Amino acid sequence: MNRFVQSINVNELIRPLGQLMVFSLGSAIALSGIALMLALVLDQTAVGLALQDKYNVTLYTYTLINLPQVVIDGLTIGFVYAAIALGYTMVYGVLEFINFAHSEIFAVGAFIGVEFLIAMDSSGLLRSASIGMSYLLLILAILLGMVAAGGLAVTVERVAYRPLRGASRLVPLISAIGVSFLLQDVIRLVEGLTTGDFNRIFPSFGNFDQRLNFGKLALGATNINLGISIKSIIVIVAAMLMLIGLNYLVNATRIGKAIRAVAQDRHTASLMGINVNRIISITFLVGGLLGGAAGVLYALKFTRIDPFVGFFPGLKAFAAAVLGGIGNLTGALLGGIVLGMLETFAGSYMGVFTMGAAGSEYKDIFAFSILILVLIFRPQGLMGENVGQKA
Amino acid sequence: MISMTIRQLFEQINRGYWPYAIILAHIVLGTAMVYSTPRSSIAFLVLITSFFSLYYFKADIRFKIIVGAILALIVIPIVGVRNIFYLEVIFQVCVFAALALGLNIVVGFAGLLDLGYVAFYAVGAYLWAFFGSQQFYVLHFAPGTQPSNLPFLLPGDAFYLFLFLAIIVAAFTGILLGLPVLRLRGDYLAIVTLGFGEVIRVLANNLDKPLNFTNGPQGITPIQRPTMPETVVEWFNNVFGGMIGHKASTADLYNVMFYFFALMVIIVIIFVTRRVDDSKIGRAWTAVREDETAAIAMGIPLVRMKLAAFALGASFAGVMGVLLAASRTFISPESFSFMQSIGVLSMVILGGSGSIPGAILGAATVTLLNLQILQGFSLYLSELRQSDAVIPLINFAWRDLSTQLDPAKYQRLLFGLILILMMIFRPGGLIPAKRRKRRLASDQATAEQ
Amino acid sequence: MALLETIDITKVFGGLTAVNKVNFKLEPGQIVSIIGPNGAGKTTFFNTLTGIYSPDGGEINFNGRSLLKLRPDQIAARGISRTFQNIRLFGEMSVIENILVGMHVHLRQSPIATLLHLKGFKNEEAEAENKAVELMHYVGLRGVGNELAKNLPYGAQRRLEIARALAADPLLLLLDEPAAGMNPQETEDVTKLFRSIRDDRGTTILLIEHDMRVVMNISEHIIVMDYGEKIAEGTPAEIRSNPRVIEAYLGRGAVAGQHEEKLS
Ligand SMILES: Nc1ncnc2c1ncn2[C@@H]1O[C@H](COP(=O)(O)OP(=O)(O)OP(=O)(O)O)[C@@H](O)[C@H]1O
Ligand SMILES: [Mg+2]
Repeated sequence: MNRFVQSINVNELIRPLGQLMVFSLGSAIALSGIALMLALVLDQTAVGLALQDKYNVTLYTYTLINLPQVVIDGLTIGFVYAAIALGYTMVYGVLEFINFAHSEIFAVGAFIGVEFLIAMDSSGLLRSASIGMSYLLLILAILLGMVAAGGLAVTVERVAYRPLRGASRLVPLISAIGVSFLLQDVIRLVEGLTTGDFNRIFPSFGNFDQRLNFGKLALGATNINLGISIKSIIVIVAAMLMLIGLNYLVNATRIGKAIRAVAQDRHTASLMGINVNRIISITFLVGGLLGGAAGVLYALKFTRIDPFVGFFPGLKAFAAAVLGGIGNLTGALLGGIVLGMLETFAGSYMGVFTMGAAGSEYKDIFAFSILILVLIFRPQGLMGENVGQKA
Repeated sequence: MISMTIRQLFEQINRGYWPYAIILAHIVLGTAMVYSTPRSSIAFLVLITSFFSLYYFKADIRFKIIVGAILALIVIPIVGVRNIFYLEVIFQVCVFAALALGLNIVVGFAGLLDLGYVAFYAVGAYLWAFFGSQQFYVLHFAPGTQPSNLPFLLPGDAFYLFLFLAIIVAAFTGILLGLPVLRLRGDYLAIVTLGFGEVIRVLANNLDKPLNFTNGPQGITPIQRPTMPETVVEWFNNVFGGMIGHKASTADLYNVMFYFFALMVIIVIIFVTRRVDDSKIGRAWTAVREDETAAIAMGIPLVRMKLAAFALGASFAGVMGVLLAASRTFISPESFSFMQSIGVLSMVILGGSGSIPGAILGAATVTLLNLQILQGFSLYLSELRQSDAVIPLINFAWRDLSTQLDPAKYQRLLFGLILILMMIFRPGGLIPAKRRKRRLASDQATAEQ
Repeated sequence: MALLETIDITKVFGGLTAVNKVNFKLEPGQIVSIIGPNGAGKTTFFNTLTGIYSPDGGEINFNGRSLLKLRPDQIAARGISRTFQNIRLFGEMSVIENILVGMHVHLRQSPIATLLHLKGFKNEEAEAENKAVELMHYVGLRGVGNELAKNLPYGAQRRLEIARALAADPLLLLLDEPAAGMNPQETEDVTKLFRSIRDDRGTTILLIEHDMRVVMNISEHIIVMDYGEKIAEGTPAEIRSNPRVIEAYLGRGAVAGQHEEKLS
């Protein structure tokens, strides 16, 4: 085989798509089933009656009506988590190191993208932009966010992790925590000094806020609206493209092969003539690119960002990576989607199911509960292998 | 070059009677400065740092203990009652020193990275906040809707009982959390403890319904304190009133009292830590930290040893929580954020992981940086901002400086820098941990043969 | 009764069977060597005996009880101590402390006694310290009690590892290539040390060693492993003349390619 000419490996493009479909559908169906079953059971109890009193619908119908929206929201956030989780998992796979600062890399991506769009907005470009132009600008914002975050990730590795590579495991981790904290305040400082405000809003432009309605589904007396906002579609499609691209990079290119070799055995890889430092830099770069894009997408979806915006998505994405089996790319996808779905389901239904005792305010710690459960019962994650310690 | 000469100078001075003279001079100077200018930060720093010359200079241990006791038990309370802000700062230093010492057991001795350490602090604080306030009778009221004049569940002196209860409850919480995760690799533990810290904070924020346990974000108040007999206040005023210059109130003496409690907890922690460190458990911790596989092959039960460290560290945080709740009479979820955990971690790392004097130095440095230097700097900047001053050369008016650039708000930057710089340049910390040398008489004898 | 008996013990890593149905018996007081080419599975065999890996099949009985469900520290407490092929001392601890860690399972030290420094605690610590110094001298280290383990020269580190393992008063001592990297004089010294450990303390010794002079000199019995299997066992004389053993060793160059294949 000629090593300089690589044919496009179509299989590697299609396979992740299939996986994504299976994961999304699987978790959607499973969770919907559980939610509906719970609703059926609780319908007979005080929970159902309270709802009847209040809205005059059965709990089952209520659950069903909301289901499409919950699934779509869950998928959207799940894809964002998956994209961030890939950054954690790539670095962990190669260095066995939790890049704690990845959440701030994500935040920097978000800020750069949003600042770019705000600048465009104040120059009047956004308001007058045609649909095509607004997509172009969005893509540009995403690319800028990616470049900034990727560059930052590489720099951070050079400055704060590489000098510590020989040290014990906790040393680079503590340094990474330091970087994370430092970056939060640096973002705040820079934003504060340049714009006077560090809560930034994704400008509204283009047709991203519109909803596509697919129609109504009649269910007895009630109608279920089937629809999806355009931003959600953009987030899902963009995340999907990134995931496919990454999968292709890792599994079908020479760089990917080198990354896998370094992940497996750094020493042997260096004996084989692989430039380990370069591969590690590339790993951080790729993780940063994904994180930066995820940041801009997150801003598009949730509109408001602040310097600490990375914290929770970062932690949840890490939980997702562990859930899927850290170090495993497919696992990160699965973990992200499952976690995003779970969280959205919990956030949407828990309040009603518990009669308001515990509602969406527990959404943020839901991921940790899952994380702890996973670590207790299946520490290697859903797709990870159990690797024994070497003696 | 410069550090060499400084070291040489230090060696020169650090012998004979010089250390005694220097220590006493430092203390007298600090006391005099604080006494004459009760508002000056610099004077206060001079006084506080005299603890470090007491630690660093070679002197008879009895001398050190006596002078240290006089300084801590007499000078500081007097100076502190004269200017209550100082006492507050010192109390905070003590609280953080105790927390840093507790976390030091977990991170420094056992090598377990606990990123949610203040969760145990919160457990202790909310324990006393709930039982030592009216909260029990507020259970069925949403925050803000309770009637006034509710009774207290327990008398204030139950505080003493809860100091001990907190040890048990916090240790138990630590074991409960530790059992499932301590089997796992260290970096997982870091994330799980972080998650646990968030869980506790979110619970504190939201457990105001269905039953109102925590009163949500508003927090619980008033929380009781142990009783302070009038006679103590009178006695204090009789003895020290002249030196202080005004009549100390009961509130002042409460501050002194909690300062003493914190000091006591610190002494207990140091005592326990040193004893345990000099036993088979301490050796097992070091062994586990250095090489888990070798340690376990030597018969050390890994999980049990880690649990011991985890529970011990947690219990100290629990005690400090009770102390905090009582001293503040108010507790809210804000005091137990992730940033607090990282703050305590950066104290441990700055001072030297595994080092007892290091943890204290780290706590003092970070707290003072936070309370005195950053805030002092902020104050200075805001004064500049109100003036008409202009930065020369670039012609920038201070008035135009964004209020975002308020140094007091940049704790994260401070903690982050400490963590990164220490890891890269001085992973052992300012006062690296030292292992005790043994006499080993029989070995020395043969060595000389 | 055999001190240690393994029945069909097997350990698989992914597709590689590192230890394949190894049966063997060890009588108390014996010195037995395991030999075999690199990658034969000798260290893995040790790791399954000491519980660091749980075997994928088979049975291990020690002193009449099964070790299968036990954690490594429990196995150590039952009386199996070991050294490691790539020395694993606690580098930041002193020599004496390393040995004291080895005594962990024998030290009582209740929490109360530890905190209050009760007499029992102090006596036990003093006794342990004396015993540790004795052990240190026994393995031939003098005057280095307070040195950090990482600062010792290589040969001394190997000796310290042996002292640390002996500190637990084991019934069975597992030594993984204890003479690796030593010069002939040092090798001869440690060989004597092993024999005296057995003779003085009655400790049964199972050692992995590549140096044939050590093996032939000291062993009463030899086990030969290759590709995870036990291919021969017997007295030194029998092993020396066993054609399969000779092939495994001499034919190594010839079968190297095959070896590679089996690895991947
Ligand atoms: N933790 C592990 N994971 C995967 N493979 C392993 C692991 N430990 C050992 N192996 C493999 O098992 C085989 C046996 O290794 P082992 O270390 O037991 O050999 P050995 O006989 O001790 O060799 P040497 O004489 O070089 O020490 C080798 O092919 C090795 O690569
Ligand atoms: Mg080996």
